[in-house]
Amino acid sequence: MTRSDPPLLRRWIAARVRLTLRTPRATFFTFVFPLMFLLIFSALNGNTRVPAMGGAGGHVRFAQFYAPSIGIFGLTLACYTSLILGITTARDSGLLKRVRGTPLPMSIYLGSWLTGAVLTGLASVVLMFAVAVPLFGVDIYPRTLPAAFVTLVLGAVTLAAVAIAVASLVRTADQAGPVAQLTLLPLSFISGIWYPLDGAPDWLTTIAHVFPLYHLVNAFDGCFVPQTTGGGWSGGDLLVIAAWAVGGAFVAVRRFRAEPASGEPGGLRARLAS
Amino acid sequence: MTRARQEAILDGMITNSLEVAATATVADAGEAAVAVRGVRKSYGSVRALDGVDLTVRRGEVLALLGPNGAGKTTLTEILEGHRAADAGELDVLGHDPSLRERAFRQRIGIVLQETGLETTITVREAIELYGAAYPSPRPWDEVADLVGLREQADKRADALSGGQRRRLDLALGICGDPELVFLDEPTTGFDPAARRQSWELIEGLRSLGKTILLTTHYMDEAQHVADRVVVIARGRIIAEGAPEALGRGEASLVSFRLPAGLAAEDMPLPAEADVELRGAAVQFRTSAPTRDLAPLLSWAAVRGAELEALTVSRPSLEDVYLQLTRESA
Repeated sequence: MTRSDPPLLRRWIAARVRLTLRTPRATFFTFVFPLMFLLIFSALNGNTRVPAMGGAGGHVRFAQFYAPSIGIFGLTLACYTSLILGITTARDSGLLKRVRGTPLPMSIYLGSWLTGAVLTGLASVVLMFAVAVPLFGVDIYPRTLPAAFVTLVLGAVTLAAVAIAVASLVRTADQAGPVAQLTLLPLSFISGIWYPLDGAPDWLTTIAHVFPLYHLVNAFDGCFVPQTTGGGWSGGDLLVIAAWAVGGAFVAVRRFRAEPASGEPGGLRARLAS
Repeated sequence: MTRARQEAILDGMITNSLEVAATATVADAGEAAVAVRGVRKSYGSVRALDGVDLTVRRGEVLALLGPNGAGKTTLTEILEGHRAADAGELDVLGHDPSLRERAFRQRIGIVLQETGLETTITVREAIELYGAAYPSPRPWDEVADLVGLREQADKRADALSGGQRRRLDLALGICGDPELVFLDEPTTGFDPAARRQSWELIEGLRSLGKTILLTTHYMDEAQHVADRVVVIARGRIIAEGAPEALGRGEASLVSFRLPAGLAAEDMPLPAEADVELRGAAVQFRTSAPTRDLAPLLSWAAVRGAELEALTVSRPSLEDVYLQLTRESA
């Protein structure tokens, strides 16, 4: 770390965000996709009441449950799926190798990916609420906003750290898409993103409890349940999420440090070809 | 190849390396940008580098020639710090490249073939962004001018033509004002005009005092831009010297067309030379063309015959290269 590193990191983050917004695929996934779900599901379910999340009891209107859940889904697309695809594509195209040949520290490069994903993810959630509040009458509560914000930021960082770890374990960008979908989709179903988990069998919720997504949904949705008292903090959930952030970061740092040669087209033949 | 010819080639190389040594002392007190000894690298049972010694002087443009799989890429990647050698002493700008220290990476520029880049980044953004990591980057407009991309400054990387993209890669390799530049086949796939431009650019970098190590498949490129050529094959350096000095001891090729009505048997062709006859075309190799041509010319003059298409040609760098790499195979 030198004195010029913080401005260098800021510069790369700004560039990363700018470049992401210029990519139609990424923008669509991050901003339009979740909104689309919100509109379709709200249109389908109207004002149905569903059991509230977080064991707070009572029922809430569908949109009140659904908006925060879909917000987390958008966050996951930006911080998990897009990040895995982005980093593996960068590696396959030789971009990581280019970076390794420059004085730019890999930590700053990957840090810019992580922060850029977190920022766009947060923006997509904000956009989501900007639509959901006036359009579907979703209520937000000032007293739980700090908890909601902290949960969201911690969740975004965790998803991004795990994504970098997954990207370091996946061999090619071709594998990255299926791997991202296969890890995200089943988890999203058992983590209560699409509908409340109250009727789910114990073994399924036990599995869900291992992963950060369930805790993220639980902690965030809890902030939007009218019956929630106090600040809406879910300490236990945040602890599990933070543990995953540390685990993801550990794997990511190890993998990107231990493999100075990763990022070049692999295989003996490729290495021997002059 | 005869033993005598082998010795002649060696002779040429030795004379040349003495010359090089002499000029080096005068030019920069023999300071080396790259000095490596006994570099070895194996991939499993395959020996990619088998004891390579290489010195590149500061300010020198060195071309690394060799067939595919010869070890060029492995060697340059070891020098760049992309790869670790199994054995050998390595000194690149006073650093051990395998440590990949930031201070080392600040002083080198690497231009690889087909390296990825953010697709939506513009030329100007890329030069500024990648330059920002260096302690004293060149201004973006200066770099854009150097590679001839000033007019494309606001174009996105994915909208550039193939040649422009390569020039952007080059720009990113020099945007940090490095002392040592690695160029991996800088003009592969270029049209002749673009190649000339790139050569001028390399010439420009040389005049800025940069040390350049380039790999290439093109002999004319090596001949044009390089101060010195190193031929690598099967993981070993098999020849090195100034482009024009390589093959100095090689035989010249004499060729002409038989005058009408005359037979080759009647002519005073050199006795030891291997004379080839293809229709009316005659050719032979000799290390003493003056001696061998004199009787032939007076013979023709006496008969008033013209030896059409008479040429005496020195072996090109390409001939020498092919000869050398064939021998090592």
